[in-house]
Amino acid sequence: MTTGILPPPARRGGVRSPGSPLARPAGTAADLRPRALGEIAAPNYAQRVELVERDRPLAVLRAAVAGAAAGEGAGVAVAGEPGVGKSTLISAACRTDAAVRVWRACCDPLSTPRPLGPFRDLAVQAGYAGSLGREDLLLSQICEEIYHAVRAEPTVLVIEDLHWVDTASVDVLRFLARRVTSMPLALLVSYRDHEVGPGHSARAFLGDFARLDALTTLRLDALSPAGVGEILRSTGLDPARVHTLTGGNPFFVTEVAKDPDRPLPASVRDAVLARAAEVTPEDFEVLQLVAAAPDRLDDRALPALGVDLPTLRRLDATGLLNRDRDGLVYRHELARQAVESTIPPGGAPRLHARLVAALEQIHRPDPAVLTHHSVGARDSVRAARYAREAAQEAIIARSHTEAAAFFRTALDNMQDAPPGERGRLLLQLGFEQYMTSRLTEAIATVSATFPLWSEARDQGGLAAAHVSVALFEYYNARRRQAEEHADRATAIAGESGPDLTLGLARATRGYFAYMRQDFDLAAACNDDAGRIAVANGNDPLEIRSRLVRAAADLAGGDDGARSRVAAFIEEARTHNLDELASTGYSNLANLDVEQRRLREAQSVLDQSLPFAAERDIPICRHWQTGVRSRLHFARGHWSAALEDAWFVLDGDGMPLANVWPLLVTALIPLRRGDGGQIDDRPAESLDRAWELVGLIDEPLRRLAVLAALAERMWMTGVPDTRVTELAPVELIALADVSGIGWAAGDLGVWLHRLGLLPDRLPAVAEPFRLALDGRADRAATWWHRAGEPFAEAMALSDSPAPADRVRAVDLLDGVGAVGTADRVRAALRRDGITQVPPRPRVSTRSNPAGLTNRQLDVAKLVARGFTNAEIAARLFISTKTADHHVSAVLAKLGVANRRAVVVQAGELGLG
Amino acid sequence: MPRYLIEREIPGAANLTMDDLAEIARTSNEAVASLGVPYTWVTSYVAGDKIYCLHEAEDVETIREHARRGGFPCNVVAEVTNEFGPRTADLMPVR
Repeated sequence: MTTGILPPPARRGGVRSPGSPLARPAGTAADLRPRALGEIAAPNYAQRVELVERDRPLAVLRAAVAGAAAGEGAGVAVAGEPGVGKSTLISAACRTDAAVRVWRACCDPLSTPRPLGPFRDLAVQAGYAGSLGREDLLLSQICEEIYHAVRAEPTVLVIEDLHWVDTASVDVLRFLARRVTSMPLALLVSYRDHEVGPGHSARAFLGDFARLDALTTLRLDALSPAGVGEILRSTGLDPARVHTLTGGNPFFVTEVAKDPDRPLPASVRDAVLARAAEVTPEDFEVLQLVAAAPDRLDDRALPALGVDLPTLRRLDATGLLNRDRDGLVYRHELARQAVESTIPPGGAPRLHARLVAALEQIHRPDPAVLTHHSVGARDSVRAARYAREAAQEAIIARSHTEAAAFFRTALDNMQDAPPGERGRLLLQLGFEQYMTSRLTEAIATVSATFPLWSEARDQGGLAAAHVSVALFEYYNARRRQAEEHADRATAIAGESGPDLTLGLARATRGYFAYMRQDFDLAAACNDDAGRIAVANGNDPLEIRSRLVRAAADLAGGDDGARSRVAAFIEEARTHNLDELASTGYSNLANLDVEQRRLREAQSVLDQSLPFAAERDIPICRHWQTGVRSRLHFARGHWSAALEDAWFVLDGDGMPLANVWPLLVTALIPLRRGDGGQIDDRPAESLDRAWELVGLIDEPLRRLAVLAALAERMWMTGVPDTRVTELAPVELIALADVSGIGWAAGDLGVWLHRLGLLPDRLPAVAEPFRLALDGRADRAATWWHRAGEPFAEAMALSDSPAPADRVRAVDLLDGVGAVGTADRVRAALRRDGITQVPPRPRVSTRSNPAGLTNRQLDVAKLVARGFTNAEIAARLFISTKTADHHVSAVLAKLGVANRRAVVVQAGELGLG
Repeated sequence: MPRYLIEREIPGAANLTMDDLAEIARTSNEAVASLGVPYTWVTSYVAGDKIYCLHEAEDVETIREHARRGGFPCNVVAEVTNEFGPRTADLMPVR
């Protein structure tokens, strides 16, 4: 005879501590039912809820499971309020005869979740436990490991309670979701939709569900009165009354139905507590202990807690607990909360202290769990210690949001620590905030250390803090503050002699100078930094100063410096200086686009964007996506440009990166003539860009915004004093500044079209020079070769020859710039030219402008002659999805077959 | 009380040191003491990637509960129904 405590014979479960010599065995999975404890008490619970008003969602989930068994991947997200039956539904769908293994894990309701919690729990059974323990493991490698584990055989991967998910797990889930059609996987997730607000870690992943074809979201509603009646069928209770009482919440209704002879409980809490009415006070305290451990009460802690087997047998009769995840858990979170609510004021710290003491007895307890209980126990010493350990683990797992939260917890619990120690922790916290693109918070955090360093008499620490704030302020687009902090750092560090911090301060100041075209200061600063680096034998600083020096040379117009920049990036990579390499790519790609080496820019970004994503450097990823937006914009790939621009703007991570995305979102609708008139948003984008470049105060960025304002004035005819008054003055003022030939040329030609060109100009780049010299045809040829169709068309429109201007209209229509074409058409008619091509009927004739980034990737592979199967393999999608993309690409390009794409690759901008 | 033979899969078990085994034994003893029901750990053998244990308990459920509390794997549990050896032959009447 068994009670509910006995697990099914072939017990499968995760393990807490990968690396433990006693890690539990790798199971082959299968049974999804909660383990024992509870099953006997409520044998029909699952079926009874599942069978009521859930036919359609159940069918969708079953189809996903059957699909996985047949090798077709798909994902389903199940959303709804607590108790609506999400887990029950997923469990029902997993009870299948299909040949699939089922892996199931849950996110933690701890105050700060365990980084990679659900994937840690699956590590042993999925066979990647060994890798998870490695400190140098990149998140991308963790993703790969999990990906390979999952795709090895048909799998149902269930991740529950995403509203509690940690950020690293979100990254893994997104990685899997994007590849889901390329593997035999049913990815099933559940979450409470009203707990996933803006800014929630899971938002991006759930956004994928809304966007990607193979992913579906199911929203579960409460039961109707008829549904409630069905559950109450054999009870004699009044369905209408119970429906009113429970709001149709299936968990609540089921609890009521279990005890039809009692008076109706007033709340879920009462219904749950009624089940524990008979237990002794000692046993009830065990229930409270389990309630105080929201993730699970680890089985291994039971000896130290003095909970014996007879106690568990008695508690089994309440039907409240399950044996799951290697511990005791409540059968439902609502049940846990009900019992937790009975813990008297002041009682919780005692329970948490017991849990801490018991968990400290087991092998490698999880510091995140210990942090939770130490905080609950109001044990500051332990809370600070475990929170720091948990933060380090979070950093290793690349879970920066959680790392920041743990550092914050540590700081809150070490008010009396020496100032230097607090300062160092705050610096770490600031860095994690920066890594999660919370720049304003990072600045506040690091600024808070300034008095601490003085108190600790640590000038080096103070200077280092100023260097950090200088960089954060710069990314935050506040140049003046950034320069002040860099100068302050230089002054402080300089007092104590030329140590490394002084070198860093100088390098930082040099970077700002280079971005402002102040190449002399940039060179002086970087040379100082380089000398200090060599004197201290510090490779990273030496490579950095030389890389920035080379980038500044390239920016100043020395084309030969490009190969040096590339070489230093490689050197940074060989030294594993990921952030430096990524910064190098950011600069190189930006300069390539600025100086119109568009194909080179593309190949840099093809390399660097995956690198920034893999190495988890969000600031560089943001910046480079902004650069790619500008690149797509230049090449006439407008849908892709907008997609990238909105990614940057919606990400709201780094104001410095927003300038070009703002311009792209303003100019594309203007050029397309969207809606036949100019709506407010683009105007607002231009004003925001103008405000931003006022703060950044760098010639290249100011000129770019002025050019956009001039283009708008040319299109709309609405005068703008920034264009009529400021722009000509600005060009004159910059006449002797080097490295601005492209930006100044772009503004120059727009001012020329408006009749506002000043008589003194900086040296402008070749195609602009040609245009201003009246060599429209040669300028157009230049742009054609460079691969910038809009600029080519505009150069032709400047020609006095009607044939050139007509050709400009054709070209503009061709790239979808119908708004701009209309403007040229009107001018042609005004000049009495009658042979004007009519406005195209469909606003966008087929052209590459409409391709999304994904479709561009596909189009480029088609252009290189790949088959659909090869494309599928390269992009981690199913052949079916590849077929679908290729058809869409051919339709958007307006070509009959893939051979045409190969032949016209150059012309379509796919080379 | 019934005796059970338990197979535990522990990759690299053969490499566990005496210190490791002492630690495991301590954890196991604590788990035994915490059960609140009769339980005897008779002996264990380390063999390759496995450890085989002989335990006495009232039922399989208790055997598994001990494993949970110790954090030990518990892949196969079989009740020992009889025991014999070379001398068993002597018990047979000679034909």
